[in-house]
This record gives sequence, structure tokens and C-alpha cells, in this order.
Amino acid sequence: MGELIGSLFLLGGAIFLFSAGLGVLRMPDTYNRIQTGTKATTLGTILILVGLAFLHPAWALKLIILIFFVMLTNPVSSHALARAAHAIGTAETESTVIDQLETPANEDTREQVE
Amino acid sequence: MIKRIVILLVLLMLAFIFVNLAASYSEQTSLSALGHYYVEQGPSELGAANLVTAVVVTYRGLDTLGEVTVLFISAAGVGLLLRRTRRKDDHEDLEQGDRAEETAIARKPASEIVETATELLLPMVILFGIYVFLNGHLSPGGGFQGGAIIASGTMFLLLALPESHISRLMIAITESLSGFSYVVIGVLGVILAGGFLDNRIIGLGTYGHLFSAGAIPLIYVFVGLKVGFELSAVLDRFRKEDSGPL
Repeated sequence: MGELIGSLFLLGGAIFLFSAGLGVLRMPDTYNRIQTGTKATTLGTILILVGLAFLHPAWALKLIILIFFVMLTNPVSSHALARAAHAIGTAETESTVIDQLETPANEDTREQVE
Repeated sequence: MIKRIVILLVLLMLAFIFVNLAASYSEQTSLSALGHYYVEQGPSELGAANLVTAVVVTYRGLDTLGEVTVLFISAAGVGLLLRRTRRKDDHEDLEQGDRAEETAIARKPASEIVETATELLLPMVILFGIYVFLNGHLSPGGGFQGGAIIASGTMFLLLALPESHISRLMIAITESLSGFSYVVIGVLGVILAGGFLDNRIIGLGTYGHLFSAGAIPLIYVFVGLKVGFELSAVLDRFRKEDSGPL
């Protein structure tokens, strides 16, 4: 029974990781790719680790600590990357409506990078 | 044209040498006599579960002392080359540097999310480094690897919080004391046991426990501290502002 639940979690995690890869390929610009890359891979990793915890109950505590570590580092690093990409002036796709990070002050210091 | 012919000849000569070396290579099917001795006598003689650690620290301990010395020399060399001396002609360089910075893109400080995450993660990274070199005799790892992990924690700090102040005096004192203690333990090995860096100066303990393998954990603690602080000092040298006299 535990094996069945663990395998289902593993399958769910694999589906999310696959959709993350698909998103990175298909998204139109850098910021969208960063967003899909982060959200889907974090959830996929968490589901895989939970599935492993069901399959090997002896490792459960270590895997929970790993989940906390992944949840802490993955979003923060993507946040830093996205801010850096915006700071050097990476272009957004044409259908962008609002840029909340853009202020009149840093419009002058941005150089246009294509 | 002549240059190309000469280069081609040199390449052909090197290729000839390497082909000969590769052709005469025959794979070893069993351990050499020395390898046999290490594998059979190592765990019982030294009490260390990790055989690589046992060889590196005890059987070949003098080579490890040489490696630590090489690291020290390279860190000292970097420190010598990147030293900022306050002289008169440096004032002109400072003015030019300020003008260049105004025209370049102003560096934005890290966002609050990154700073908070750094403050949460940095103790974990350092704890992991300490774990790696404390368990050098039981699991893969050891002093050099743990020290490198600690130095990566320092680089993490320098990238996310560039204004943080690291006391160079403390780094220098700890590094020197650790290197000195390493040699002292080696000399204690000569006085109390079989030879330089013999690990039987402390009792061997139970195989596979944390307090086993004699002086190997102690040696690796000092090596890990020394390597970690050394590499952190090298990283600290690359910062732009000068923070302190050392």
C-alpha cells in the first residue's frame, strides 16, 4: 500500500517536471521561462521526495529536511536571476501589459539588450 | 609557412609518444602488493572506516602536509598580489575609478528576499561543511572538501551581502593556529607513537563510531578549518573596498 502511494507521488512529480521542461521550451521570453522553470520544478522535486519517503520510510526525516532546503533555495535564486535579467534590460515579449518593477528612475540607467 | 610545418612536426611527435603510451597500457587485474596491504591491514590497524582517509592522513600523511603547504603558499601569493597599498599615486587611480563607476550601470543592492534567505542559509552551509570534515573517517569527504564547502559559504555571503564585514585578523589567526596544530599533532605522533602523523596517539575506539580512528578526526578538524579560512581569505581579497589593515 505504501508502495502504491509512493509510486503515485513519483508519477505526479515526473509529470510536473516534464511540464516544466516543456514550458521552458515554449514560453516567449526570459521572464516567463524563469517563472515556469521555478514553480513547476520546485513542486516536482517536492512530490518526488515525498514519494521516496513513502517508498523508503527510514529516510523520511532526511527527505523532509531536503524538501525544506529546496523550498528555501529554489525560489530565492530564481528571484535573484529575474531581478538581474530586468536590471540589464532584457526585453519583454510584446504582449506584456504592466511592468511593476519598472520605475522612472531606472529607465535611464537600463541599456537595451536584445 | 615554415611555422606551420614546425607546429605540425611537434604535434606528430607528441602524437607518436602518446600512441606508444596508450598501446603499452595493460589493465591491472588485481591490486598491487601495496594496495593489498592497505586494504587488508588498514581498517584493523588504524580503525578508520573510510580507507581513502586512512591512506591520505596516516599512511601518506607527509604528502598531505605538503598539500596544505601548497595551499598556504598560493593563498599568500594571492594576498601579496592583491594588496592595496595606500600611496600617493593611488589617489589618481581612485579618482579615475570613481569616474568610471558613474558612467557604468550603478550596481543595485540585493533585494530583501535574497538577504533574508542568505541569513537563513549561511549557517546551514557552514554546518554542512563542519559535518563533512568531522565525518571524514566514516563517510566520503574529509578536511579539504569540508573546507571548500565553508569557503563556498563565504562566497555566498560576499555575493548576497557585499557590505558585510569579515574580520581578516580573525581569519589569519585561526588559519595559522590550525596549521600549527596540525604539525604539532604530527610531532606528537613521533613522540608518543610510531612516527610522524601516526594516529594511534589517541585510542582507536570502536570501528565506525564518531570517536574512532585515533587522531584522524582531530587532524581533519584542523585541516578543514585551515583550508576553509584560507580560501575565504582569498575570496575576501577580491572585494573592491579595502576593509582593514591586513
